Amino acid sequence: MYPYEGMILVDPVQHTADSEAVEKTVKDLLEKHGAKIHQFERWDDRRLAFEVKGHKRGVYLLVHFEMPGEGVDTFRRETRIVEVILRQLVIRLDTDIPTHLERSAAYYDKMREDQESRRAARDGRREDYDGQPASMVEAT
Amino acid sequence: MTNDRKNRKKKKKFKKFRERRCRFTRLGVEFIDWKDVPTLQRMCTGQSKILGRKRSGTSAKFQRTLKQAIQRARYMALIPYVGS
Repeated sequence: MYPYEGMILVDPVQHTADSEAVEKTVKDLLEKHGAKIHQFERWDDRRLAFEVKGHKRGVYLLVHFEMPGEGVDTFRRETRIVEVILRQLVIRLDTDIPTHLERSAAYYDKMREDQESRRAARDGRREDYDGQPASMVEAT
Repeated sequence: MTNDRKNRKKKKKFKKFRERRCRFTRLGVEFIDWKDVPTLQRMCTGQSKILGRKRSGTSAKFQRTLKQAIQRARYMALIPYVGS
């Protein structure tokens, strides 16, 4: 059993029609190949960067699971047969799932902090600039 | 007068140096998440080309992880292969 992070892009039309059924097919498919699901997350219907199998929008399902190595290949193959699944990406994690979730939470905290400090710096610069040109501010 | 000019030159050089440091090293992150769309988009040009190291100042290590992250995000249609 190895830890994996999987993202599955599903058909938004079928998902809005019956979200439970779609999510159940995905979960069942994972469990059929010996997966133990740790976390199951849904990203709301969003615009795709480009068309995938004729769809301009899609619903992403983010799953963290443990699976024996042999299961991954057969899982990938079978996702091609299931119609609701438009695309799939399974990545082997280099740490166990709780550590990974912790690390990614820390990552997003840092990114948010950075964004806020950037915004503050930019706004500060604007205030300095207000009313008089930058060279004048320096001279006084 | 000459002194002023010298100072101005010094300041300019310093500013350039500051801008060129790797932002991922500065933040002290352990990896770059391929699901972090805003950050990945900031590291791309308007045409969705990955910014070069000379332009963004990214360290060699993070440029490699960044490439990996961008390629994954592109495959999942989170960011475009070719920008509009």
